[in-house]
Amino acid sequence: MSAQLWALAVAGAVVLAAACLEIYRARRAKRLSAGATGSAAADPYILYFTGDSCTVCRTHQEPALARLDGIRIDRVDAVAERALADRFHVYTLPTTVVMAADGHALHVNYGYAPAPKLARQLAEARSTQLTTATA
Amino acid sequence: MSTQVVDHSALKANQTGIVATILVAFVGSLFSTFFLALIPLLAIVLLLGTFVPRLALFKQVYFLVLKPRGIVKPQPVQDRPEPHNFAQGLGGVFLGIASLLLVSVPIAGLALGLLVAVLAFVNLAFGYCLGCQIFFQLERRGLLRA
Repeated sequence: MSAQLWALAVAGAVVLAAACLEIYRARRAKRLSAGATGSAAADPYILYFTGDSCTVCRTHQEPALARLDGIRIDRVDAVAERALADRFHVYTLPTTVVMAADGHALHVNYGYAPAPKLARQLAEARSTQLTTATA
Repeated sequence: MSTQVVDHSALKANQTGIVATILVAFVGSLFSTFFLALIPLLAIVLLLGTFVPRLALFKQVYFLVLKPRGIVKPQPVQDRPEPHNFAQGLGGVFLGIASLLLVSVPIAGLALGLLVAVLAFVNLAFGYCLGCQIFFQLERRGLLRA
């Protein structure tokens, strides 16, 4: 096999390993932040971790959040508010956390989360809230 | 830390230039080792562009040729240039290492070059900038300041 083919194989293996590592890291961070709590509110809301260095936040995440009408979005600078970012194991930007009304983290999205996904998670948070209220 | 207007088309021109140069070097190396000289040249271009922005070759091609002729439309975004410069510098460093490896372990040198091309392509196509994420982590730990 030529050097070029070997190089392609090595690069492919590294990319694959990096993808697996990223999946593992995201799952681990989600598991660790599952019990994290924030402030309670009347309705489910979103904690939005961002930073000045995050381009995707400006080009993708913020337009997606703007599409969610009437939802409280708490913007957090992950660099300035490190303690809060650590509580939710924020290792990448943007990170969005869908918070239940009682202040518990229901869903943590590491990386860009599109509006339909956030809307689905918020709907789930609302139904959980209703179930708890009627129980 | 304040943001300023960053033309993302210039960044995309830079990423396109990186991907294209590495691909030409890789495919060309099948025919002649002469093409591998493009890797250290690209490393120099990226490192020079990081420290002296007016020497950033691909960005200058965009600002002097592509933009004035309307070939590529500008895409101004309120942003910070530092993470992008950091990512470019990181690419230059990795290509510098790849250049050294090409002499002793050509497979590793080529593979590292390809990885830089893959990362530039991912940034170009999906907007995911690994260098910017590393910048965020370093800044968060107080190891980097704008």
